[in-house]
Amino acid sequence: MKVAIFSTCVVDLFFPKVGQAMTEVLERFGCDCYLPENQICCGQPTYNSGYLKETDKTLHNEIDSLLSVDADYIVGPAGSCVAMLRSYKNSLKDDPEYAQKAAELADKSYEFSQFLYRVLGVVDAGAQLDAKATYHRSCHMTRLLGEATAPFVLLDHVKDLEMTPLPNIQNCCGFGGTFSAKEPEISQTMVDEKVDSVLSTKAEILISADPACLMNIGGRFSRRGEKIKIMHIAEVLNSNVDVKRIKYKKDIEKVEQ
Amino acid sequence: MGIATSTKPFVERVEEAKKDKFMQASVAKAQDAQWDKREAARKELGNWEQWRDLGEQIRQHVIKYLPDYLEEFADNVEKKGGHVFFAKTDQEATEYIKDLAVKKAVKKVVKSKSMVSTEIDLDKELMKLPGVSVMETDLAEFILQEDNWDEPTHIVFPTLHKNRDQIQKVFEKLGYTGSNEPEKMAKFARKYLREYFLQADMGVTGCNFAIADSGMINLVTNEGNADLTMAIPKTQVVVMGMERIVPSLKEAEVLDNMLSRSAVGQKLTSYCSFSGKRTDDESDGPDDFHVVIIDNGRSNALGTQFESVLQCIRCGSCLNVCPVYRHIGGKGYGSIYPGPIGAVLSPVLDGYEEFGDLPYASSLCAACTETCPVRIPLHELLIEHRHVMMDKLHTDHSLTNTIMKTIGVGTGSPILFKSAMFGANTASKVVSHHDHDSVAGFLYETGRIGKLHKPVPKFARGWTDIRDLPQPAKSHENFRHWFKKHKQEQAAKGGK
Amino acid sequence: MGNANREEFLDFLAQKAKRPRHQLHEHPFQPLNDLPETTLSGKSQDELLEIAQKNSEAVKVDFKKVTTENLGKLLDEYIAAKKIKNLILPTTDKWNEFNLDKWQKEQAATYWQPQAAREVNIKTAQSADGAVGFADYLLAESGTITVATTAGQGRAFNFLPTHYLSIIKKSDIVPRTRQAMDKYDSDIKNGVLSTSNINFITGPSNSGDIEMVLVVGVHGPLDMTYVVVEDL
Ligand code: SF4
Repeated sequence: MKVAIFSTCVVDLFFPKVGQAMTEVLERFGCDCYLPENQICCGQPTYNSGYLKETDKTLHNEIDSLLSVDADYIVGPAGSCVAMLRSYKNSLKDDPEYAQKAAELADKSYEFSQFLYRVLGVVDAGAQLDAKATYHRSCHMTRLLGEATAPFVLLDHVKDLEMTPLPNIQNCCGFGGTFSAKEPEISQTMVDEKVDSVLSTKAEILISADPACLMNIGGRFSRRGEKIKIMHIAEVLNSNVDVKRIKYKKDIEKVEQ
Repeated sequence: MGIATSTKPFVERVEEAKKDKFMQASVAKAQDAQWDKREAARKELGNWEQWRDLGEQIRQHVIKYLPDYLEEFADNVEKKGGHVFFAKTDQEATEYIKDLAVKKAVKKVVKSKSMVSTEIDLDKELMKLPGVSVMETDLAEFILQEDNWDEPTHIVFPTLHKNRDQIQKVFEKLGYTGSNEPEKMAKFARKYLREYFLQADMGVTGCNFAIADSGMINLVTNEGNADLTMAIPKTQVVVMGMERIVPSLKEAEVLDNMLSRSAVGQKLTSYCSFSGKRTDDESDGPDDFHVVIIDNGRSNALGTQFESVLQCIRCGSCLNVCPVYRHIGGKGYGSIYPGPIGAVLSPVLDGYEEFGDLPYASSLCAACTETCPVRIPLHELLIEHRHVMMDKLHTDHSLTNTIMKTIGVGTGSPILFKSAMFGANTASKVVSHHDHDSVAGFLYETGRIGKLHKPVPKFARGWTDIRDLPQPAKSHENFRHWFKKHKQEQAAKGGK
Repeated sequence: MGNANREEFLDFLAQKAKRPRHQLHEHPFQPLNDLPETTLSGKSQDELLEIAQKNSEAVKVDFKKVTTENLGKLLDEYIAAKKIKNLILPTTDKWNEFNLDKWQKEQAATYWQPQAAREVNIKTAQSADGAVGFADYLLAESGTITVATTAGQGRAFNFLPTHYLSIIKKSDIVPRTRQAMDKYDSDIKNGVLSTSNINFITGPSNSGDIEMVLVVGVHGPLDMTYVVVEDL
């Protein structure tokens, strides 16, 4: 199966490890990965700030680029950015040139863990990690993309990984794109509460499927000098993999029958 | 008081709110408790998403045919001997009610909680009349009134920012000598207010929903003060926002169910009442029944992308889930309508000059949109406001504007972005640190940027003022570079 | 002022909305689902009674079941337990229906009087420390009694007395708000019912206004008792 990787600007600029881990996991499950050259950014920074005109060009470019590879699916390591890709369908519905393309893009775009769980049917990626961890649920992935199950199922199956629930998991970490820079005073109180919640779980690792949230929460951890390890879910699922452990939804269903 | 509750600039209000630790703790506690209650109540009802569809449909329908429904309602009120006045502005509304009070030689006015009456500043206007006194009878509003007309900070729990000791002090001024136990203080208020009720000659209520086909109004409360307000005084004035209307008792009943669950996590509040002018054979209830239907800026939303804001049933649920409200509370917003609904509604009612900051006071986490019982796309409307202000009104001439436009250009052009990626590491090197021992993992593998100082623009400092930033990856270490190499290796191996 | 004031206002709205007036008759409201009717439907009267009891108790109602034969005795016990000295009763012909004719005549009670002035009835209700009245329906889902105001049981009757007891027939238990509203709606429209006020009352008055601590009994009655008569 051919997969176009939607790398996202954050991963392109800052986090090579996240992109690598995702690629390696996808390849392990037989995906033939491509990285469309001209992709840049989903357009959220300007769109969410109200610069709709300026954003149009960004959206057009992203669509042209991601569709330039004839892939079955488009997979990205960030729930928020994937939700944005899917929303093009709505925001460009009156665009004579791009409406159709935007719809096509939306239909085949998935967030990484969502793709593993919903499309490939994976429940156990074969990973092992001996640690106590907690998971930060990103708002956009949960509410706009509507994916609140996949990462939890996949993490629950990682061998030796002890997941502890994060209190007030429903609350935003205070990132909010440009909000974090435009309203730092409010953003700070939000991220501080999130850091405190994470600390209260006594987890050694904080995991998420949205690198931008991790950049925010991790950045505050670092500034406060509090100890934590930050991992993207792709890195976790790429840890100490034994392919013999890999399990699919259909395997479990068989057992349950 | 009007809509604005403060003349201070937004940043200052936020700073003050941040210092108010009691407020933050009580809002957080309330939000968490309400979260559990509300979700449990919705779950027990079942099919919540379909109920939302129905709630949205009812509200959209009445907004679409608003003039027709208002006409039908007014006809039915008048048929039963009541009166309806249409007020375009707050002033028209208060003048009408003041005239009425004078005509009826009113001395004592009792009020039950109504956001619209706060919006039009009715209490203060009525008190300008010689010999007229006004009493708020909702426990929370009573506390605010007796505390020198303090401002409400929540549309359902107006005194969320006050603790029991503060309330005790307020009551002591009225002769209360008991402890700070809520139970005891509530009993005191009951007795105090009951005496006033019995002498009242005018009652003022709000209106949760006006019933078009019967000319009744529907009020949803827990304390019973609204019902006493509608039972005892000879004259009743209903102040209602023009959008608070439903076709019949049935739709009112549907929305009461949704409102009670969303606002307080109850199946129904203690009192849901449907009420109008007294009939001839009844002995209590108003002889004189006046409904004042108020526009006061609401019509600004009609026919625009903001029309759906008129669907709001003021359940306060969006405040109760909002992480920004959680930290800055009602006072931070500086509007009697705070939280997400306030950030959308206040600029519609009163313009961007006064409330242009509010649409930015959101991380767009969409918790509000997710919880809204009538499916108002609140976070999208916040983006719409930003859009109107930026693209259309060009209100922001600051450096932020230039930066955002540059990002717009940069993220729209592959060549520019690639050169930016190439240069990012070099450009930011000056300020990076490598002493990142507290946070392990991928985040600071390439280095860490600490607090930036002037002359770096404020917008960029916003991030690093409170948290560290990862050092951008060097161009030969970034993901694209790795991917290319990885593909070459695969090809060399003769793999895929 | 009347019509000019109204027409100008409504025309302005239509103009703002860019939608002409008087389109509603061709587009009446048609609900997109029937959840209000189907939720909690298909239950027997026994099941509804059980659900009603559970939900009433959840809102701090003292819930009692009784047969007509023992109803009078139960009311006596209630009055004694609450130490009620000034009882208020409605003026109604329901006493007979509930076999309470004799009981009612024995009471040294005051009455909400159909012909009396506002001040008189309000004063009576205010002086009463207990009320025994009748409800039209009991809603199982929420533990709610519904009462339409009549000449003999006015509005303040339900709000001013300190303790409040409501008598309901078991056959008048309905699943939820919708069924009660359907009946009120058609009774009003058919002229069967003439009332200016319908109260849906769910437990005693309460408030969470002080630190969100639930306080029972703010303006309305301090406590509520529902008595379901099982053989009616
Ligand atoms: S916008 Fe929605 S959630 Fe917020 S108060 Fe209005 S109805 Fe409730």
